[in-house]
Amino acid sequence: MTSKMKNEKNKLIELENIHVDLKSSFETINVLKGINLKIFKNESVGIIGESGAGKSTLIMCIAGLELISKGKIFFNNLPIHNLKEDDLALYRSENIGVIFQSFNLLPSMTALENVNLPIEISGNFKNNEMAIELLTAVGLKNRIFHYPHQLSGGEQQRVAIARSLISNPEILIADEPTGNLDKKNSEDVIKLLFQLKKDFGSTLILVTHDTSVAKLCDRIIKIDNGLIVK
Amino acid sequence: MFKETLKHLTLSLRELRGSFNEFKIVAASIFLGVFIISAVGSISGNLKSEINNKRIEMLGGNFELSTTYQEFPNNIKNWLEKNGRTTHIIELRTMLSYNSQSLLKRRIVELKAVDNNYPLVGKVLISPYQKVKLSLGTKKNEKKILIDKSLKDQLGIDIDDFVYLGKSKFKINGIIEKEPDRIFSFATFGPRVLLSANDLKGTGLIKAGSLIKYKIKFIPNNENTINLAFLNDLVKGTNVSIRSIENTTNNFNNFVDRTSIFISLVGLITLLISGVGISNGVKGYIIKKTKNIAIMKSLGAKNSKILNIYLNQILIIFLISIIPAIMLGVSIPYFFSPIISQELFNTFEPSIFFQPILVSFLYGLITCILFTILPLLKTYTIKPIELIRNSSDNSLNQTTNKIKVIIIILVSILCVLTMNLINDKKLSFYILISMIVSFVLIYGLTNLKFYILSKIRFKLGTTFEYVRKAITKSNSFARSIVISFSIGLSLLIILNIIESSLDKRITIAVNQQAPSHFLIDIQPQQIEKIKNTALSFLGDNNFNSQPMLRGRITDINNKSVQDLIVDKEVEWVLKRDRAFSWSNEMPKNTKLISGKWWPENYNGPLLVSIGDKIAKGMNLKIGDKIRFNILGRSFEAQIFNTREIIWENMDINFIFILSNSNIENAPHSWIATTKNVGQNLNNSFVEKIISEFSNISSISIEESYKSIKSVLKLLIIIINSIALITLLSGIIVLAGIIDVGKKDKLYEVAILKILGATPKKVAYLWFKEYFIIGLISSVVSLIIGFLVSYVLLNYIFNIEIYYDFKMIFVLSLLVPTLITIFSLLKMLVLLLSKPLIVLREYF
Repeated sequence: MTSKMKNEKNKLIELENIHVDLKSSFETINVLKGINLKIFKNESVGIIGESGAGKSTLIMCIAGLELISKGKIFFNNLPIHNLKEDDLALYRSENIGVIFQSFNLLPSMTALENVNLPIEISGNFKNNEMAIELLTAVGLKNRIFHYPHQLSGGEQQRVAIARSLISNPEILIADEPTGNLDKKNSEDVIKLLFQLKKDFGSTLILVTHDTSVAKLCDRIIKIDNGLIVK
Repeated sequence: MFKETLKHLTLSLRELRGSFNEFKIVAASIFLGVFIISAVGSISGNLKSEINNKRIEMLGGNFELSTTYQEFPNNIKNWLEKNGRTTHIIELRTMLSYNSQSLLKRRIVELKAVDNNYPLVGKVLISPYQKVKLSLGTKKNEKKILIDKSLKDQLGIDIDDFVYLGKSKFKINGIIEKEPDRIFSFATFGPRVLLSANDLKGTGLIKAGSLIKYKIKFIPNNENTINLAFLNDLVKGTNVSIRSIENTTNNFNNFVDRTSIFISLVGLITLLISGVGISNGVKGYIIKKTKNIAIMKSLGAKNSKILNIYLNQILIIFLISIIPAIMLGVSIPYFFSPIISQELFNTFEPSIFFQPILVSFLYGLITCILFTILPLLKTYTIKPIELIRNSSDNSLNQTTNKIKVIIIILVSILCVLTMNLINDKKLSFYILISMIVSFVLIYGLTNLKFYILSKIRFKLGTTFEYVRKAITKSNSFARSIVISFSIGLSLLIILNIIESSLDKRITIAVNQQAPSHFLIDIQPQQIEKIKNTALSFLGDNNFNSQPMLRGRITDINNKSVQDLIVDKEVEWVLKRDRAFSWSNEMPKNTKLISGKWWPENYNGPLLVSIGDKIAKGMNLKIGDKIRFNILGRSFEAQIFNTREIIWENMDINFIFILSNSNIENAPHSWIATTKNVGQNLNNSFVEKIISEFSNISSISIEESYKSIKSVLKLLIIIINSIALITLLSGIIVLAGIIDVGKKDKLYEVAILKILGATPKKVAYLWFKEYFIIGLISSVVSLIIGFLVSYVLLNYIFNIEIYYDFKMIFVLSLLVPTLITIFSLLKMLVLLLSKPLIVLREYF
């Protein structure tokens, strides 16, 4: 990522003093304690940190999946921190592709149907052509009618990657995408993810424990105890 | 719009794939309620249609004209014969006797003497097969009759046996299997005997003042001009009354309507209990689908979209369940057609009616949506962040104004549908209010019990404390179990208390108040002799007799009865002939409510004493004038007093008692009752009277009570069986709850086993848990049952409450036992699970 790209004009996401407090009946846990961060178009950002540091919470805030207790979040200079639930859903469906550690495919749907799901949820007719193209791109051309339980973990994650790209989102958020995979599958998935990020021109925000994977990103951010430390 | 719907539907179906099994309880709940409503609607629709189609056959013609005591005036008889087809019938009650090996057996029978034209419509089915015309009359000096099968069984007589009616000897020529114009004769005192009108003449039973009905069944040549109004004009000023196919079928239709309303209401209650099952089933389903919902939300699905997907799925399940329910419901008349043919109609051809299909569909749909909408709102509280951590908000506080409006609209439609089903505004208002109050009471009492239970503390570590916590924890389904069973059990307890109170009332009446026998058709010249015989047999004060004749009310305060508006409960008084008596002496045990009795030597203008409740129902007061038509003559009487009539004492109860103002000169008969002074004495007295006077008939009150009680018993059995269906829906709800909570129970058994509990110990814990839930349900039902039956018996039936505590105790234990046995059987397999495998696979 060049400094030219990092100017304000290319700014995609801006987080200002983000706090997330989780309340239980016994105590309140301050998961994020004032995060300030800017993410620029087309860049890839690796987020690392210990378990419980707040990495996943941070990216879920960006995806509009976690509600913040304090602070502001801007997407393309537009505030999203004060959006209502349905508007956040619309924001996600138009701009965000999420890849989870545990794949999160719908078990009652085939690979093709799972990939088409975001389009159908947004109220459009399914786009089989593009879904097949994406499944081909992730190497699952012959598995399009298979159900999740008929696929291996690596294959399921590839379906999840294809699904995250079907709406052509500006931001790809991956929460430890290789956390449930073996070494060989992890390498393949990461390779695929970066290749597709390049092909689709998306911004990638990747949470990982693996520093070697993080190093593939343009920028690495380290979180510790709810704060960016590096 | 269509494309949008299709898109939603496709997505819903795809998400539903593989989950059909989760809906089996929801489907069973919908099926049961909708099936009952559609089946009852179809049966009543078919019966009404059949009656409508065969009403001429059932009445025996387009019109039935009748007179009591006197034959038809010749001008009317001639006119009818000239203007259409007629058949003349004479009906009376008398004793039939049979001499079996020098043992004389007697039985009161309903004689029906017919002419050669009978029946005008339909056929009399006789066994062995023969035509009615040929099976009656005198041949080779033998007079022939046909008898009911019940008479054959009661007296042990058969075809070719000889019996006596009055002075004549008759040979039994066949058994009546079906009499086409008998379906509308509800109240009969004895089995039917058919004979020819000519043969009746020789019996000596036709005497002036005897209660004899003369009937002419009439089919006019010109149906367009000869209608009821026309015939009413024709018989004006006579004592002829007319029944047309319209007003006759109305009575039967009302009977069918009332019966089907009751059964439909049970169906509705079943459906509402099923609603609890539907609600729990959907709640459990949504809990199981939490992850899918979170995934879809993380992919950008709005709350409304998710609601839409799952509502569509419920509607798909609804359609899948309702189709077989309605199909089975509408085919019930086909299954029952042999019984209906045998009992009611000669031939019964069922049809499919649209209305019950629509009504049951709407009931099912509204109940389904009503009970689904709140659990579906649970989807609003599921956050996509659940995919990485549990953060669901269980408060379910998403009941927006829009949803509240939808719920109010649905409840209103349900109320309108119920009012339409009942077709009686006042009754439906009471029923709806009672249902709402009962539901609120059950809900409130259940919550109160659980609140108390949540505050009680047992010693830590004891099984009771463990069970208490299991029942009162926030996600426990115990409340739903209690509510669903309490509705059915309350109904059973209410029915039981009403039944035992009615039964007690009848038993007390039979043992203490009611007479032993009725003697009817006593001729005026016979009464003195009978009174003397009674004195020697029964002693003083044990014989009560009153003169009787029949007549009709034509005007009240110079207003024709056709133009009068009176309470529905007393309409029957004005409809047909009524029995009158007269006396200047106030009858024994009379309790006057208003006015006073006229002097014993009174001989002025006609006065009348009237039953108090009847007077109130007709808005009559002392001084009002009633005009009667007795034997074709018109009399006007002024109301002088009102008195209490206790129908249940089964004694002689005349609504109208006139003063002795020369009315005693009209042809009349006497009616008498004997007090119970011991079975042998009573029987010998009655035997002496009826053997001496062949025109007098006797009716044993004990036997009448027995038949009333057996009808009542049958009715109670039917009602209780239907009420038991509500418990069945409770079991379906329970099965659903056990399915939903299966995962929690598996976890519980795994942990308990790891901590060293044996399967027996876990089973014991569950036994206590479910038995206590059942007991709470019993306590709630007992409170509701006692409360509702108290209100009903005290304020509506006006009967003293009697509790059959043994039965109530059995009923109270029924639900805890049912819940415990069913739950343990269903969860037995969980006890055998291996804890480590469970923890690995499920958690």
